[in-house]
Amino acid sequence: MLKRNALAFLLAASLPLAAHAGDSYTADPAHTYAHFTLSHFGFSTMHGRFDKTSGKVTLDHAAKNGSVDIAIESASVSTGFAKRDEHLKSPDFFNAAEFPSITYKSSSIKFKGDTPVSVEGNLALLGVTKPVTLTITEFKCGDNPMSKKPECGAAATAQIKRSDFGMKSFLPGVGDDIKLEFEIEAYKD
Amino acid sequence: MGHLQEDKLHELLHHPAVQGGLVPFVVALITAELLQRLRLSDLAVVAAFAATAYLVSGLPFDTLTASHRLLWLGLLSPLVAISLGLLNAAWVRPLLAAAGGAAAIWMAEHILQHQVPAAVFLWSAGIALYVGWLVFWMDELQYSPVRAASAGLALGLGTGLSALFGASALLGMYGLSLGAAAGAYLLIQMLTNNRLPCGHSFTLPLALIAGLIGCLAVLTARLPWYALIALAAIPPVARIPVSEKSVLWLQSILLSAATLFCAAVAVYLTWRVAGMPPL
Repeated sequence: MLKRNALAFLLAASLPLAAHAGDSYTADPAHTYAHFTLSHFGFSTMHGRFDKTSGKVTLDHAAKNGSVDIAIESASVSTGFAKRDEHLKSPDFFNAAEFPSITYKSSSIKFKGDTPVSVEGNLALLGVTKPVTLTITEFKCGDNPMSKKPECGAAATAQIKRSDFGMKSFLPGVGDDIKLEFEIEAYKD
Repeated sequence: MGHLQEDKLHELLHHPAVQGGLVPFVVALITAELLQRLRLSDLAVVAAFAATAYLVSGLPFDTLTASHRLLWLGLLSPLVAISLGLLNAAWVRPLLAAAGGAAAIWMAEHILQHQVPAAVFLWSAGIALYVGWLVFWMDELQYSPVRAASAGLALGLGTGLSALFGASALLGMYGLSLGAAAGAYLLIQMLTNNRLPCGHSFTLPLALIAGLIGCLAVLTARLPWYALIALAAIPPVARIPVSEKSVLWLQSILLSAATLFCAAVAVYLTWRVAGMPPL
């Protein structure tokens, strides 16, 4: 009897833990992109993006926590000009052959009310890992009107210095400050 | 006014032509001239490469990426060259060639990890053979400073321009710095009609760095692998019969013309694949 009660207690105690693990989401590659902008010799602002981004997100609204785990394929960099894209894949910039992935792993998510407003985490680029904060500028959860599946979407920005990650080619002409913008849509698993 | 001059100097030192051409050329001229009495003029190449590497990458210690490994292998190679040079044994040349091949595989380790096993084997064998070949044949030229410098000029320029066309300014500048250094070394001999001291310390860094740049440009940029065949022909071509008794400027011109032809073929092959470098 005592054993049965103990087992029941352990099961009951584990229920809130399971609920605290939150909901899990998988990024929709057709609506998830990482964009970047940087100065080109001060004459213009170059815009580029990575065409292939994947990731997992967990959100626990009750505990106001969660996680973000994003992987960006370096070789999918695209600026609308093939010759420049080849250069961006070379060791001068993203070194895609040696570092095929750029990753971001969160350590915590900050909430304001029920809405996540920022993500603390680490960006790994060119073999260097540095803390980077993502500021969430848009956030929405609900059922997708087309697929009828539950999903969440968000937009987030961050600012980094590429030299911090060892990407020093063409400094200072090609800007050191890079603005990162993420657009993500993720379906509930 | 002081700030303006500082900005101008900063801008000048960041110009690719200065980093990959002017600075290594001047550093090599000074090193070759200053160290002539100590019979260490052959360190001109590594001094020039170090200057370019410092300006371009700041001699990084942090992450051991392939390009950082290339850099450190190149900078440390004269130590091996000087040590083994003291032995003067017949097995030194094959040993250096084998070590060069192993260095190429070590440099490319992280890149090869992302390939399928068959490709790993092929690439490893290919890059080891290429670097080993260059080290072996360049080492043969150490007894003829004019031939070694002519081959170095062509190998540096050919590798640098090919890497540049293959979409890597970083590797391009590294390669061009070797060409500029060998050019400075050759120029002194042409102008003075005196041969400079030459040994493993000249040929090993030159062959090793140029070889590693070529391999890295194939693996990470758009240098076609067959362009390396044209570059590999440079050291053997530098052995063409040219009278050792003729004046050095004439020898230099003849040997440079022959070796630069091979370099031009490599650049042309790369240009056909990759087109003009992006600006």
